[in-house]
Amino acid sequence: MCAMRLTGYADKFSVHPGDKIKFYVNCDGPKKYSASIVQMINGDTNPRGPGFIEKAVKADCEGVYDGIKQVVYGGSYGFVADAPQLKPDSFTLQCWIWPTTPKTDKRYWKHGAQGLVTKWSDGKGYGLFINTDGCVELRINGETYSTGAPLRDHAWHVIAASFDAKTGEVVLYHEPQVVYALDPEIPPVKASFKGKVEHTDLPLVIAGYVDHVEPGPLGLSSLPQGVIVGGHYNGKIDSPRLCSRALSRFEIEMMKGGAQPGLTERRNAGPTGALSEAIVAAWDFSDGIDTLVAKDAGPYRFDATLVNCPTRALTGYNWAGQTFDWKVAPKEYGAIHFHDDDLDNARWEVSFEWTVPADIKSRFYAAKLTTPEGDEDYVPFWIVPKIGQEQSKIAVMVPTISYMAYANEHVACNAGGAELFVYRVPIMQQQNMFLAEHREYGGSIYDTHTDGSGICLSSRLRPILSIRPKYDHFLAQAPWQYPADLHLICWLEQMGYEYDVFTDEDVTYDGLARLENYNVIITGSHPEHNSGTQLDALHNYTQRGGRLMYMGADAWYWVHSFHPAYDGLGRGIVTEMRRCESGIRTWRADPGEYYHQGTGELGGMWRYRGRYLHSVAGTGMSSEGFDISSYFSRTPESLDPRVSWAFDGISYEENLGNFGLVGGGAAGLELDIVDTMLGSPPHILTVATSAGRHTEAYLLVMEDFGFNQQGLDGTVHPRVRADITFHETPNGGGCFAFSSIAYCGSLPWNNCDNNISRLTKNVLDRFMLDGPLPAAPKEAYKHRGRADYESPALASKG
Amino acid sequence: MIPIPRKGTPERDRLIQEHLECVKSMAGVAGFSVLKCATPGDTTHISGGVHEDPLLKRVLLRMRGASPKGKLIVICTKIDAEWRIGRLSGIRGVPPVFVDDTVYTSEQDIQHAIFLMRLDEMEETDGMPEHYHEGYKRRDDNWPVT
Repeated sequence: MCAMRLTGYADKFSVHPGDKIKFYVNCDGPKKYSASIVQMINGDTNPRGPGFIEKAVKADCEGVYDGIKQVVYGGSYGFVADAPQLKPDSFTLQCWIWPTTPKTDKRYWKHGAQGLVTKWSDGKGYGLFINTDGCVELRINGETYSTGAPLRDHAWHVIAASFDAKTGEVVLYHEPQVVYALDPEIPPVKASFKGKVEHTDLPLVIAGYVDHVEPGPLGLSSLPQGVIVGGHYNGKIDSPRLCSRALSRFEIEMMKGGAQPGLTERRNAGPTGALSEAIVAAWDFSDGIDTLVAKDAGPYRFDATLVNCPTRALTGYNWAGQTFDWKVAPKEYGAIHFHDDDLDNARWEVSFEWTVPADIKSRFYAAKLTTPEGDEDYVPFWIVPKIGQEQSKIAVMVPTISYMAYANEHVACNAGGAELFVYRVPIMQQQNMFLAEHREYGGSIYDTHTDGSGICLSSRLRPILSIRPKYDHFLAQAPWQYPADLHLICWLEQMGYEYDVFTDEDVTYDGLARLENYNVIITGSHPEHNSGTQLDALHNYTQRGGRLMYMGADAWYWVHSFHPAYDGLGRGIVTEMRRCESGIRTWRADPGEYYHQGTGELGGMWRYRGRYLHSVAGTGMSSEGFDISSYFSRTPESLDPRVSWAFDGISYEENLGNFGLVGGGAAGLELDIVDTMLGSPPHILTVATSAGRHTEAYLLVMEDFGFNQQGLDGTVHPRVRADITFHETPNGGGCFAFSSIAYCGSLPWNNCDNNISRLTKNVLDRFMLDGPLPAAPKEAYKHRGRADYESPALASKG
Repeated sequence: MIPIPRKGTPERDRLIQEHLECVKSMAGVAGFSVLKCATPGDTTHISGGVHEDPLLKRVLLRMRGASPKGKLIVICTKIDAEWRIGRLSGIRGVPPVFVDDTVYTSEQDIQHAIFLMRLDEMEETDGMPEHYHEGYKRRDDNWPVT
């Protein structure tokens, strides 16, 4: 199969008419490629559906461009530009480390030595490393000194090395923090080095070393430009120090306390004044956790620039287990976890740009890239009206935070356990194969890093091969997220609706202003990941008479925040999420690591911040299964005059949605239910349900039970179902929840002529009207409890 | 834990037949399960398969839970047209490799081909004490991964 030689991304997800969007393209092989702009209508190639549909858009950027290879330099590290003080004759280097992959398989994608703190490149300089045997190694020029004791992974160690230029003595220490009964002793290694450290002008690197200098075009996307860092380290580093003389073991111990500037009789308890004179740098990673700077508290302020956003707000070697929020006890959070596959920005050169015409429609668009040899890629983006210049009464809220959460996901190939939840052998697409080989494109928040730790950050400034048309996801064996949302777009187009689009990013930053000029907001099929301000905006909108059509399931689930350190590059560049104490988690955050590094807020599920999923649109996630979908039946409440209008033209007995392009039915993948104890409003009406129709692959979510037990699957558990609901909100507003991710996959079925399409149209036609919705009948106004209701099991026994 | 039925036993033949019938009935469904559609390609009425054959269900769970190191997987080589069987490396950054040149033109039939291969590859005592290895102690048993 052909490798993906053509990949790209844009500087924006969301662009206003009249504004400029820039595209970055890697064309690795073909001499030329063509670029054009298309409107995206359907991305699903399934022969049982309408097929792939795109519409050509006239754009002045359309043309043939030179194919230029652009490279992604993944892997996080810190660097400090060269300075005279970083070139000492004698030195002591020390740090705490918690390595995660001290030893790697020979076939591992970045097998080789890992740099810890290095001012070393190509046989010149000095630095602390982990060698390929997994042992600590000091390098001075071309000489190496090792303890020969392999580092225990996932454990803290003190590492230190000193060199005395006068005597030539070299000492290397490796001291595990915890020593087990049968651990051999690791005595300090003493040796002699004759000669001088040969210094270079290259930067000092933390968590890597300078592999080479690349003066050509391929060096443009590295940071610092042209300097290619290799030897990426996987694991935590805490409190690195550099001193300008060989310290004794006792002095190394004192130096753990770091620089204590301004020592007086009344303050500080660090190294003595005499010892402090030796400090070149003493980094304190607990300072500026929400930044991309690793602060140096030493006399020269050798702050390191962090590249590719390593994970911060993680417990340090001294975490006491008493405080769980880094903001309260920052000194216990002085560790940075570096990963060899971290990526915050591909940093490519602009390939072409497009000034969006002022009169263009707000829609889903993409830059279409092709070569005569058959290569193809699409770079999706959305044209979003400026506030006050809305073009339609209907708007689609594109779940871009969720797209980012799933960006470049590797689950099918990383997690062999994926089969246990998809209930079949996963199918990998060309994109998955490419990503399996190109880990530098970064993973998704569903993945673990190459070292097994969870990925909690995702950037949109990189090619995201999962946000593509013609892409079936292994979870569904059908479209998922972006291409699945195109089912909805295809339906809107074919039904002739005028609609605007905007993204999660727009709502997060603009709040209610982004929503309030629309009569109805339509969600995507799976808006699972959300910022707090987005949920605030949706609440304010529905409370003020806005109408919300929730077209999917498992929404409003995870706490997300955009990392403020990237605000200068645009909106919503890097999103952060932590998988905390409960919820469906493909990895689990470690103790004490629940708070976001960017905003400092508590991560995890909105539910555990007291914001129940069910309170947003009426229903909330209750089960998931990924084999096949089922369908809905109407309930007696669908006959209630408050909602019966939604079923005009649909008989009571019909199977609703026993067809579709996702799982073969409208009720599938992830399912939401009503639960008035979890935030569904007490007056909510359930108009249809899929109760009792799901396979054993569907399982109750873990946050809904506290005890492992049999009977959690779709063949027996009553909460494994989807409920379609309606409820009124104040001031003539309302919410309709369709409660299944597969729902939108049924809309385009049979050329949009089906009962799911009819139900959706009835709701949309009513919700898009100007003015408040008709008031509910008088008798509908009454006091209702949450848990309290008249149980049929007890009613006749009174 | 259930033993994997041996070659030539009636249990194994029954599992293969049931699995095949389920696979055939799923042709045209935008999804897949080892269950039988009453009308092929239509999930309105489903039965059989893992819902009614406890041995088939457990054998499939054993297969699905196997370690990613060397695990069989489906690779789509032409969208909506061609699929081939690959084997995961189990090592990050090392992509799967194709096991042979066979090209399948059904995304469902290939599930059955993998089922047969796995039946041949798995030992009868898979998961029993004689298979306990160091990895069971070090999170290499795959089950807690997700």
